[in-house]
Amino acid sequence: MNIDIQSVRNIGISAHIDSGKTTLTERILFYTKRIHTIHDVKGKDGFGATMDSMELEKERGITIASAATSCQWNKHEINIIDTPGHVDFTMEVERALRVLDGAVLVLCAVGGVQSQSITVDQQMKRYQVPCIAFINKCDRVGANPERVIRQLSERLGHNAVAMQIPIGLEADYEGVVDLVSMRAVYFEGVNGEILRTEDIPEDLVVVASKKREALIDAASMYSDELTEAALEESVTEELLIDALRKATLTRELTPVFMGSAYKNKGVQPLLDGVTRLLPCPLDVKTEALDLENEEKPVELVADPKVPTMVALAFKLEDGQYGQLTYIRVYQGTLGKGDTILNVRTGKKVKVGRLVRMHANQMEEISAIPAGYIGALFGIDCASGDTFCSPNVNYTMTSMFVPEPVISLAIKALDQKSEANMSKALNRFAKEDPTFKTFVSEETHDTVISGMGELHLEVYIERMRREYNAHVTTGMPRVAYRETITRRADFNYTHKKQTGGAGQFGRLAGFIEPVADEDFVFDNRITGGSVPTQYIPACEKGFQKCMSKGPLLEFPITGVKVTINDGASHSVDSSEMAFQAAARGAFLEAYHKAAPVIQEPIMKVVVESPTEFQGAVMGTLNQRRGIIVGTQDEGPICVIEAQVPLSEMFGYSTVLRSATQGKAQFTMEFLTYRQAPKSIADELIKKAGEEKKNVA
Amino acid sequence: MLPNEQRDPLRPTGRVFYLKERTFNMLKKDLLLKNPLRLLGHDSDDIITEGDFGVILARAGVGKTAIGVQLAINSQLRNQNVLHIALNDPVQKVCLWYDEVLRNLISQHDISQEARLWDIILPHRFIMTFKVERFSVPILEERLNDLIEQEIFVPRMLLVDGFPFKNESRQFLEDLKTLAKKLGFHVWFTMNIHRHNQPAPDGFPPEFSRFEDLFEVAIQLIPEGKEVFVRPLKGIGGKSQSPGLSLNPSTLLFHVPDDPLT
Repeated sequence: MNIDIQSVRNIGISAHIDSGKTTLTERILFYTKRIHTIHDVKGKDGFGATMDSMELEKERGITIASAATSCQWNKHEINIIDTPGHVDFTMEVERALRVLDGAVLVLCAVGGVQSQSITVDQQMKRYQVPCIAFINKCDRVGANPERVIRQLSERLGHNAVAMQIPIGLEADYEGVVDLVSMRAVYFEGVNGEILRTEDIPEDLVVVASKKREALIDAASMYSDELTEAALEESVTEELLIDALRKATLTRELTPVFMGSAYKNKGVQPLLDGVTRLLPCPLDVKTEALDLENEEKPVELVADPKVPTMVALAFKLEDGQYGQLTYIRVYQGTLGKGDTILNVRTGKKVKVGRLVRMHANQMEEISAIPAGYIGALFGIDCASGDTFCSPNVNYTMTSMFVPEPVISLAIKALDQKSEANMSKALNRFAKEDPTFKTFVSEETHDTVISGMGELHLEVYIERMRREYNAHVTTGMPRVAYRETITRRADFNYTHKKQTGGAGQFGRLAGFIEPVADEDFVFDNRITGGSVPTQYIPACEKGFQKCMSKGPLLEFPITGVKVTINDGASHSVDSSEMAFQAAARGAFLEAYHKAAPVIQEPIMKVVVESPTEFQGAVMGTLNQRRGIIVGTQDEGPICVIEAQVPLSEMFGYSTVLRSATQGKAQFTMEFLTYRQAPKSIADELIKKAGEEKKNVA
Repeated sequence: MLPNEQRDPLRPTGRVFYLKERTFNMLKKDLLLKNPLRLLGHDSDDIITEGDFGVILARAGVGKTAIGVQLAINSQLRNQNVLHIALNDPVQKVCLWYDEVLRNLISQHDISQEARLWDIILPHRFIMTFKVERFSVPILEERLNDLIEQEIFVPRMLLVDGFPFKNESRQFLEDLKTLAKKLGFHVWFTMNIHRHNQPAPDGFPPEFSRFEDLFEVAIQLIPEGKEVFVRPLKGIGGKSQSPGLSLNPSTLLFHVPDDPLT
């Protein structure tokens, strides 16, 4: 293994669904000689793309789990994480971005910056991942890379500069003019593997010179040397690339490449761009928190020779040899046979087999040095766990995990499926922090929850295919919430004297709504009317009430409880008595505090041909959606709306039939908002009936 | 209580004051009173009615959109639907304007009420964005009919931001006026003017002068040093009124005389 850390690139490929990122990855693997034949995404040739290793992914033509793979280009080692494009799987994208040093943002030359590109871009911003853009599908009808570059600037706020201009477009797309070397590049051979460089075609000379000037202009903002050279008209390739790299690393500039992965054009220059412009692990500052030193941040050094090793497990997969844990080493070296500490569990484990992954093939290695991505076998851990040398207790900063918004009851069809189902659920919950599973206390059903309908659907399919667990599903349940809208007082006495030790506790105070917090407890008792030792029990009692609201039995959020008076008994008061008093007090006040039900609201973005705009708006309006706006972009329009999640079930079918299948939509959680009274009443009625049935 | 008066058993005996509700209503009223038009000396909230045009003129970057959005928010607080048409700006950017203006407006009040104000405003706002070259009255009419026929949104006010007033725009404006009368809304525009252009013989900026007859109301924003002054050009009580009215340059909100917070 090459261990020159300067030549390592850990990159992700992120984009809107169907922008062709899996095809692009496939071509990268082909040109870097990791694979020797090219397969289509949708498996027309019966194989499917190499990166989509899961059967389901091959069938649906979407990439669900990010498969990691490594390849070599120009003496550089490139580790690629292929990320899913659908919003329901954003956790995967976020996790991939967390361990990456740079990214390629793939955009469609026809569709341009689409809604999902905006989400992905926000995620990149959150993790400060430098990126370069690749405008794919330049061979398609309606391709307009210039417009896409404009959209990158206008919609995403990137300082986007073209590194190339296309030679021809749509069916006449032939190659690119490289604005750095000022040469025309053509892609020949059966799979575009032979690069032919020539002088720039005459009709493009003027445009190319102008665009190069713009490129130098943009880059010179970040390099005085380049500015001087530009004034003296002596700009060299190295000088220009250095300035571009500097600006790319700080996210101040986004170099834009273009091509058509499907038609085997423009991929090799993009790889050059990855090696020349994106950061190596040394360029990225990474911090861990020292748990033994009040979580003080510690800067990690991407040096394999440092004795203290720190690594992050970012993805788990269940393979035929047991759990495969994808890991990125940030400092030191992770060697075969080493003893490492799982910081979350505090358990020490011995490293068994270490491998480097290439989609679903693997290569045995003896160590993973700092800056590299690899995988290890036989380690029991969850995604997001930090591993380090046993002499330290560092943790990588926790990743942002959104709360699930939808749940579904599932039931195994037979006993064999039941055992397999629990195995599968255990694995999925470890792999994906946004996927949760529990057993309902009332119905004893197994409930799974996640980020959207498709998210859960895919897991049910995976259960069937990978674990042979056949399950039936109930109706999806939306994660409603309860909250209060008004202050209400309580003064409750819990008294029980029915033989044995008595119970006594009195609590007085009030509850009131609080913004941006789930639960706040304020103890204002003075004079010891409630002895101090019982205060934690009071808090616990109130907090317990929050997990299940009296209206719908959904969690209560946004409540501040203040206790200011109470009474105790020298013999009969106990922690249990005060917990019960808190419960009683809460219920007494809750109904006076004008409780309401809140429902999750989703941000829905529909992209549709303009002629169906009215029909699409109608479908959103019928679903209690508030249409925020419509964006007219010539033949296509983008409609943005806020719609309650409960109304969005089966929307894809409705949208398909309303638009002859020509529209697509993305959906992501936006906020919780109060449900209208009629809906709330209906929900309460239904919940009451369900309770009766269970009883 | 009179002897024969029946008491409603559900009605509480004492009167309950919901202070939070009151505060909220007061905040809403307060914001309404800060209607830019009222501050300019006009005594009712709607200075223009169905089919009328109003315009905010200024050089680039002075605060036309901010004033337009203030007018829009004011209408929305009065439960009137506003269709915001932005030319060349994406929906997200327009939303940011509303976020910004509303945040600045209520920063002087109780910030915790922001979410409730949004709940009021959002259903009364609809943003449409067009590329300038595709924006025409027939396309707009088609879109409006989509909204009105399905009872999705019936606008009372249109705010057209970024319309390029050119010589050939007269036909567009006349057609839009006819449509506004037919569908019952009034229209506010923002108009870019240039500092190097000399005023027309009628004293108006030349960009406005050629269309002056189509507009019932016109306001001009004039930057002077660090301040931006508001000058009523047409339709608001005459040129001499409210001479000192200005915008707060950091928030681009109206500086209300005697209000230290603004």
